[in-house]
Amino acid sequence: MIDIKNVTKTVRSGTENLTILDNVSLEIPSGQFVAVTGASGSGKSTLLGLIAGLDAPSSGEVVIDGEKITAMSEDDLATLRSEKIGFIFQSFHLIPSLTAFENILIPMEILGLKDAKERAAKLLEDVELTNRGHHYPSELSGGEQQRIAIARAFANRPMILLADEPTGNLDSKNGNHILDLMIGLHQKNEVTLVLVTHDINLAAKAQRQIRLRDGRVLSDN
Amino acid sequence: MQFILNLTAREIRSSWRRLLFFFLCIAIGVGSIVALRSLVHNLSRAVGGDARELLTADFRITSAADFSPGDLSKIDEIISKTNIVDGKNEILETSAMARPVNSSRKTLEFVSLKGIEPPFPLAGKFQMPDGKPFDFKLLENRGAVVAPILLEELGVKIGGKIAIGEAEFIIRGVFDEEPGGSSGFRLGARVFIEKKAFEEAGILQNRSRVTRRLLYRTLENPTALVEQLRENLKGSTLRVQSYRETQERLGEQFERTENYLSLTGLLILVLGGVGVWNVARVFVEQKRKSVAVLKCLGASGTKIITVYIFQILILGLVGSLFGVFLAQLGLWLARLNFNDALPKAMSYSISFATASQGVVLGILISLLFSALPLLQVRNIRPSLLLRDENNENLRNLDWTKWIFGLVSLLGLLGLAVWQAGSFVVGSFFLVGLGITALVLYVSASVLTRLLKRIKSFGSFSIRQAINSLYRPGNQTRIILLAVGLGAFVVLAVQSLQGNLLREFDLTRNQNLPSLFFIDIQKSQVKAFQSVVRKAIGEDAETIPTVRARISYVNGKPIDYENREVRQQQGQIGREFAVTYRPTLDDNESLIQGVWWDKEDAKVPEVSVEEEMAERLKISAGDSITFDISGRQLTAQVANVRKLDLRNTRTAFIFVFRPGVLENAPQSFVANVLKRIPANDRQRLQRDIVDKFPNVQIFDVAEIVKVFQNLLENFVLAISFVGGFVILSGILILIGSVALTKSQRVYENAILKTLGAKRLTLSTILFAEYGILGTMAGVIGVFFATVLSFAVSKYVLDIDWEFDPTLSFLGILITAFLVMIVGAVSNFDVLFKKPLSTLRSQ
Repeated sequence: MIDIKNVTKTVRSGTENLTILDNVSLEIPSGQFVAVTGASGSGKSTLLGLIAGLDAPSSGEVVIDGEKITAMSEDDLATLRSEKIGFIFQSFHLIPSLTAFENILIPMEILGLKDAKERAAKLLEDVELTNRGHHYPSELSGGEQQRIAIARAFANRPMILLADEPTGNLDSKNGNHILDLMIGLHQKNEVTLVLVTHDINLAAKAQRQIRLRDGRVLSDN
Repeated sequence: MQFILNLTAREIRSSWRRLLFFFLCIAIGVGSIVALRSLVHNLSRAVGGDARELLTADFRITSAADFSPGDLSKIDEIISKTNIVDGKNEILETSAMARPVNSSRKTLEFVSLKGIEPPFPLAGKFQMPDGKPFDFKLLENRGAVVAPILLEELGVKIGGKIAIGEAEFIIRGVFDEEPGGSSGFRLGARVFIEKKAFEEAGILQNRSRVTRRLLYRTLENPTALVEQLRENLKGSTLRVQSYRETQERLGEQFERTENYLSLTGLLILVLGGVGVWNVARVFVEQKRKSVAVLKCLGASGTKIITVYIFQILILGLVGSLFGVFLAQLGLWLARLNFNDALPKAMSYSISFATASQGVVLGILISLLFSALPLLQVRNIRPSLLLRDENNENLRNLDWTKWIFGLVSLLGLLGLAVWQAGSFVVGSFFLVGLGITALVLYVSASVLTRLLKRIKSFGSFSIRQAINSLYRPGNQTRIILLAVGLGAFVVLAVQSLQGNLLREFDLTRNQNLPSLFFIDIQKSQVKAFQSVVRKAIGEDAETIPTVRARISYVNGKPIDYENREVRQQQGQIGREFAVTYRPTLDDNESLIQGVWWDKEDAKVPEVSVEEEMAERLKISAGDSITFDISGRQLTAQVANVRKLDLRNTRTAFIFVFRPGVLENAPQSFVANVLKRIPANDRQRLQRDIVDKFPNVQIFDVAEIVKVFQNLLENFVLAISFVGGFVILSGILILIGSVALTKSQRVYENAILKTLGAKRLTLSTILFAEYGILGTMAGVIGVFFATVLSFAVSKYVLDIDWEFDPTLSFLGILITAFLVMIVGAVSNFDVLFKKPLSTLRSQ
């Protein structure tokens, strides 16, 4: 379960303070598929980053599975992400110096999983890229890179999958394929899926939709 | 751990090209340090490693005069009290003229003559070709064994005859290796003859230039005996030396040289370190996103830093090993180029200890210089994957960085102290380096500031080029510092060489004689002059000389117990050639007392050269008692003279007032100032020696040539080191190109979009690096000129001249080098399509 309590995030922009999230409170139960929508600059990605512990709120608390992550050190947060959270980015963020197979392998190696290689091969198979494992990200298409990113996100069997505009850099055909893959894996693995998107049609596929505007929750249904 | 090892291996696999410069910086630094250290180390082993062989005995007693019966009996008495001496011989050494007999070739050569008696050698190898040992029979009945080069020089063969002094010798063989080695500066090839032949050949006529040595072999450590001998021979001019002391002294000298040279190597390695620092900065900058992804996937900052440290360690290790390989190549190159100048027995291998030291240094420098940039990894936040923030933290210095900076500095100090073998020297090196860097850096800042002011006068391309030098994250001052330093070293050495060579340029220095003759007997002067007149059309300048030794100063014997005096025993105790004349020479000036008038002396008066006066601690009014052919003559010091050695034809330490020495036994020296071609010089020398075999001739032009060659080798060696410094500077340049490349790509994409043609962009590129190189050249030339002036004026005491050609060429070559390197490493940028670049931003 994800519990966000009165979270505010303020950043300095030039000489002024800019509030990106303004006193947001949310509870997301385990296994739920939630879509977070809103215009550009509404605070969607910041919210996702705070859930993943990639950033710290200016005030308020984020609690994951009973653990208050806002009080954790950088290293503890890294361990938390390694064990419980998978992340998918709009621009994939694969490590360019590693092959597709090695990119999937990395989270498992960080965690020290014994059967990492077998599992990486299985994940490659799940995203239908078995024959592309030895390729570097620069040798893959956008859709293929995102499929590798999905496989990587599921590598450590996370409880929570966070996706930031995962289809934003893809054409509609590839986008749909990625979405189907993500939803399929979410259902198969019973993970909580938080999807950030500004695509209304995409959001409609979620069990719950949260709309943000100027850092505040506009609607939650 | 598995993750760290796996990721390290994968990172090296993918990043090795980008880290190639890192690798090269370390390799070149380690290579130079290992090569320099090994060269000196091997040289010291070849020359001083076995001082016993160098001395050809366990200890020796040297005298510049005949051993007096009193001294000999004292020596024998002390030695007979111990039972450790098991071999003894006496040798005589001098320089002489050798010429072929019955040869059509009118040649003659200066030789280094050694008269020996069996058993010889007491220590060391005397080897003939094919590994045969030397047989003393070869020297019997006027035989000679000579260095192979002499056969070539004189145009004679084994079995042929040469004349030395008044005697003729048959060359019975050449040697392959002589005892005592061929180290050190020696005028003329070695010739061995029998000791008794010295007397017979009339060579002992000029006893003053013959060195006599008693050599002893001992069964045990001779130190105690040597000390006892020294104690008992106090007050005499005899010098007792044991091989152990020689070994220690040589060892210390070589160790010092090795340590100083290692510091030069360390300088190159530190510059390499600056390159490493740059590369590490670029690397971290480029890896920002990958680091953020890894953090996002759960890797801690410590784990990621460990991966990169592992990578640095491996690259540092491999780079250092490659450096050792480069050093070995360098040594082989030294063997090819300097074989004649280096001892024959010298090894060109690298010892395990030196190699390991180089590798440890390479790894430590890699770590010290990449630690700070790598610390940035801690500050890379994973949230940059969501928002491309500037990560301001990357540029801020927090306390951890201050601590690491301090630790790095202390580490560097440790390395400098280790390499210098002394805390003081190591600290001075680091402080000196810091001050030099600061001065160069400040000059670079001043120059770049000036450049900004003149920017408005240039064309669009020039303005853009100058702008580029101020691009955020620019390395302008660091490049100016590194390349400027290299240019400074090379140009300073070149400029000093120029001034030194000018000093010894016979065509410019009219006062240097072309030929110098000594030991002309009074009865030979007239005939000598007529031979010279016939050959060159004018008389030689002749000067009477009398041989004298110092017996007392102010009525007291010289205190050889005083350590300071004993160190100068050779300078004070030797026999001097003194002269007498009524006037001061052109190259002399009085610094104390008054010069005498033209009347003859009522009491003997003497003028003393400045340095000797200091050595003897005397001034005008004091007295010196001389021993002239056994007679004591006390002279009052009338004045102290300064000699301008640059303008000298002769340099007499003691000059007497006329009226005292005219009747003493004397010989003459003569010099020919007229410039004569080499062939005529040879012919004249041969004519003189044919008629006057006792006369010795110095072909000054030849000696100057030898000196010039030595100087050139020296300059080549230092320029070689300077070249390495420049190379390090170039590597830093390449590293910095990589650092700002993405910015350049982006700028070029914008300029192209705005309509700039490839020609304009190339002009900007060439202009940018041309300006940078010119500024580095200007800095190098400026400081080289200052250093060369200061050293010439205050250290070497020679005339200094500014060399505009060298300065111009220095700036031009530096500018060209930097321009080419900068342009080539950026050339691909010109061909990048703008759209993809702009999209990716």
